Amino acid sequence: MICRPALTRGSQLALRRQGAAKLAQRGFAAVASPKASYEPTSIAGVKVASRDDNGPTTRLAIVAKAGTRYEPLPGLTVGLEEYAFKNTERRSALRIVREAELLGGQLSAYHTREALILQANFLREDLPYFTELLAEVISKTRYTTHEFHEEVEDIIRAKQAKVAAPAIALDAAHSVAFHTGLGAPLYPTPSTPIASYLNESSVAAFAEAVYSKSTIAVIADGASEAGLSKWIEPFFKDVPAESPSPLKVTPTKYFGGEQRIPRIGPNSMVLAFPGASLSANQPETAVLVGLLGGQSTIKWSPGFSLLSNATATAPGAQAQATNYAYSDAGLLAIQINGQAAAVRKAAEAAVKALKGVAEGGVSQENLVKAIAKAKFNLLSGSEVSGVGIVHAGANLVHGNQPMQVTEAVKALESVTADKLKAAAKTLLDGKASVAAVGDLHVLPFAEEIGLKV
Amino acid sequence: MPAPSLVSAVVKRPWLTKLLTPLAGWYANAAGYRQMGLRADDLIVEENETVLKALHRLSPKESYDRIYRIRRATQLSLQHKLLPKSEWTKPEEDVPYLTPIIEQLHAEDKERKELDTVVVLKKH
Repeated sequence: MICRPALTRGSQLALRRQGAAKLAQRGFAAVASPKASYEPTSIAGVKVASRDDNGPTTRLAIVAKAGTRYEPLPGLTVGLEEYAFKNTERRSALRIVREAELLGGQLSAYHTREALILQANFLREDLPYFTELLAEVISKTRYTTHEFHEEVEDIIRAKQAKVAAPAIALDAAHSVAFHTGLGAPLYPTPSTPIASYLNESSVAAFAEAVYSKSTIAVIADGASEAGLSKWIEPFFKDVPAESPSPLKVTPTKYFGGEQRIPRIGPNSMVLAFPGASLSANQPETAVLVGLLGGQSTIKWSPGFSLLSNATATAPGAQAQATNYAYSDAGLLAIQINGQAAAVRKAAEAAVKALKGVAEGGVSQENLVKAIAKAKFNLLSGSEVSGVGIVHAGANLVHGNQPMQVTEAVKALESVTADKLKAAAKTLLDGKASVAAVGDLHVLPFAEEIGLKV
Repeated sequence: MPAPSLVSAVVKRPWLTKLLTPLAGWYANAAGYRQMGLRADDLIVEENETVLKALHRLSPKESYDRIYRIRRATQLSLQHKLLPKSEWTKPEEDVPYLTPIIEQLHAEDKERKELDTVVVLKKH
């Protein structure tokens, strides 16, 4: 006779096994994952890219081709940025702020070298209000004289005072690398003469040139496509299709060189090389950035990255590699900040590490780690809303498609050690752009650390 | 607070405006400031925050001209003299240049007060 508990136990076990098998079949990706890439469309002549993860909040941004690269006179981009959300023909700046607060929204304006971004983050159901607001800001701002003197000027001055050594070094590296256009400083320093160029009428003229349907893109993260197509059409009616006085754009050329700026306080060095542009298919640059790395991403260890190992020998300095990608050029920059002596040591070690890659290649283990890091940088960058919006917008206003994340990840996986070695070799054979800011008695010349300029 | 005024009530009624315009012209001439080269807006009392702010918002040229007119008038007052007739302020020159800015500032203040005491009714 078979006892009952034994019977039931067997059936229980069998059931459990079945369930486990099913689980194994289902795998990890069964949950519907949100779309990683922005879908480009065109609504009433406006370039729109949207991505909807059905979340409770929305990020809506207007990305205009109005970064420092395109400003005809120095300082206009920052002027236009500070004029965002000021008095319009329909309502005052105060009302805009109070209404946005009542709806729990966040308004911000910021710029990169190529784009000026007006962004609103808000609750999903307030899409019509903020779509109207952003369209009103770009088409109906009044650019009044008293706001310029009472608010805009003061804020620009306060922000200028905050421009620190790392930003100055990066601007200097861009300036020697690209001269005009992309070489314009991201934020003018207090010693940059902008007062004679920057006034409310020059800003208004710049706004007229850059706020047209052909030079802006609307990027929506978390808004339904139905809502966008319903509200963008009526509210963007007053935005001109073509600007009456379009800006001249000259293609970027890489020059290279060296610039040294004496400065009291923190020290900074930038060693920059031609990098990958937004549209370029150069996965090895991204992997090289992952390999160079900088800040350790794990606890209690400098990690595998070449720069963090280089700075481990020079305490007091931090190094970081970044590829600054623009529409028709890129700049792979190694930035080193800290005390002068440590910066010198770290710069020497960084170039040595890069030479090591160019001559001896990279171990298989480090390659795998670098590819994984590059993949993480790419995916988390496209997920974190700010970076994703800027990237998608910059691509769209320059007539490219938004980055296709899955394809980009596949390209990263195809990078081999030989490709990486060749990429490092091209960097070192070409002309570098080197900027040193701080105690020039200690900071080395490019020649001394073994770079060609 | 702006001083109470009947201007808007008069302007709303065209027949009253027509009736009072010559009278207003006579009064402005009789007030005597035009004979000293001033404009009506030069007489606005400037010892208060709103007017001071409005004066800041004048263009450099307007501000300079205003100071010039006031200094000239002060000098005339000290000397007990009037300007020669050719230099009197003409009625078409006597335009409000400061009042619009003061009105704009009053509107800003009013809007701020209203927004500070706003009652939010949620309809959804």
